Amino acid sequence: MGGLGVHALDHAGTAGRPGSVVHRLDPRAKVVGLLGITLAAAVAPRGAWVVPAACLVALAGVAWWARVPATVVWRRARVVLPLVLLAAAVVPFVGGGPSVAVGPVHLSVEGLRTFGAVAAAATVGTLSAVLLTATTAFPDVLRALERLRVPRAFTLTCAFMYRYLFVLGEEVGRMRAALAARGFRPRTALGAAAVGRLATALFLRGHARGERVYLAMCARGFCGVMPAGAPGRLGRAEAGFLAALGALVVPVSVWAQVA
Amino acid sequence: MHIPDGFLTPGVAAAAAVPAAGAVAYGLRHARSRLDERRVPLLGLTAAFVFAAQMLNFPVAGGTSGHLLGAALCAVLLGPWLACVAMAVVLTAQAFLFADGGVTALGANVLNMGVIGAVGAGLGLALAVRLLPLGRTAFLALAGIAAWGAVMLGALATAIQLGLSGTVPLGVVLPPMLSVHALIGVGEAVVTVAALGAVLATRPDLVAIRPRGLAPLVVPTAVSGRAS
Repeated sequence: MGGLGVHALDHAGTAGRPGSVVHRLDPRAKVVGLLGITLAAAVAPRGAWVVPAACLVALAGVAWWARVPATVVWRRARVVLPLVLLAAAVVPFVGGGPSVAVGPVHLSVEGLRTFGAVAAAATVGTLSAVLLTATTAFPDVLRALERLRVPRAFTLTCAFMYRYLFVLGEEVGRMRAALAARGFRPRTALGAAAVGRLATALFLRGHARGERVYLAMCARGFCGVMPAGAPGRLGRAEAGFLAALGALVVPVSVWAQVA
Repeated sequence: MHIPDGFLTPGVAAAAAVPAAGAVAYGLRHARSRLDERRVPLLGLTAAFVFAAQMLNFPVAGGTSGHLLGAALCAVLLGPWLACVAMAVVLTAQAFLFADGGVTALGANVLNMGVIGAVGAGLGLALAVRLLPLGRTAFLALAGIAAWGAVMLGALATAIQLGLSGTVPLGVVLPPMLSVHALIGVGEAVVTVAALGAVLATRPDLVAIRPRGLAPLVVPTAVSGRAS
């Protein structure tokens, strides 16, 4: 069952040097800063290459400052980025207007420009998200979103989903052990039907266990608010972080919009 | 179907985000008034399950791959509005955790998969259940059609947004998008019917939209302490 993808969560934890300046920043500053960079790249006029370039420089700075190794960034971006670039790569083949001949194929000039702009913005967005998760634990991201006025019911559902992903993962582990103990080795197409029933069993067992987890939380005094650590505060470090990112990205974005 | 950053122009992204935010806000208000204690774990677990299911990619014709959507399944289990919240939660977590679907295209992604998929399929099915005396088989068949329709309508909306953004001409993106998703939709329908049939057989009390004939069993879920 491939762990139902839950093992992929291992690729979503923090990385780099945990004590770095970036890791210790208030999560709100990181969410706002990295979202801002993505936004700047996404709203830049297509063809204004200086904006995604400035965004990439800013992201490289964040990665260096947090000591997130390039291999980690590459491994995590590799999960989605190739698919995105592949989807964008059809554009030059279908665009209209004047075309250039590259070997036997004709590529639309307009399409190539669109492809470049889309690929650049998608790369910036992916790297921003990768760096956010590499420097901030997911519960901290949720807490930051809540303090940035995202409705609590929404962040709470997110938090439960995150908790239950691990419940599902553990349940998959137990079911795998049970399957192995019974010598289950699917070799024919009939195995697919068994896997379908396994998925349903996983859902029902996960739900039963999720209910017990919830009751245990209630028994320990949970009343609709996830326990929070010490509340962070927006101090000089956060202001400096946002100012540095802003200085890199805002002037070129404004210039690109005006030009 | 997850639209990444940069594929949509700001205008299209904003225009898609407004109805998506409205629907999620309505869903959250609905959740606050209707969500009884027992459904909190179901909401979280269904979201987690959809999250995991969306990570399983299976190959479709022509070297592309698709993944399960789970919108219709979610809608039947949770009802249309809670399902909308669950899908929005899944898409938000994917955007933040794995960069799957752009953060700036989140509104469009929620609109395509959460609102059109879950709310559309859920309201359609709820209406059908209220108007028609459906048996178990007919209900499952309708749920399968709803699952296929949710995938197709989501793909259609995605193609229209990409076309409006000028990323790809609509006439070029629409035919392959719809034909690929017609196949993905069949897989989605099979999985939805199989999962729903099994849940209806074992825990009909977990299903929010169900045919009138299938009254909920009284299962003392919280205290039964099922062995697992």
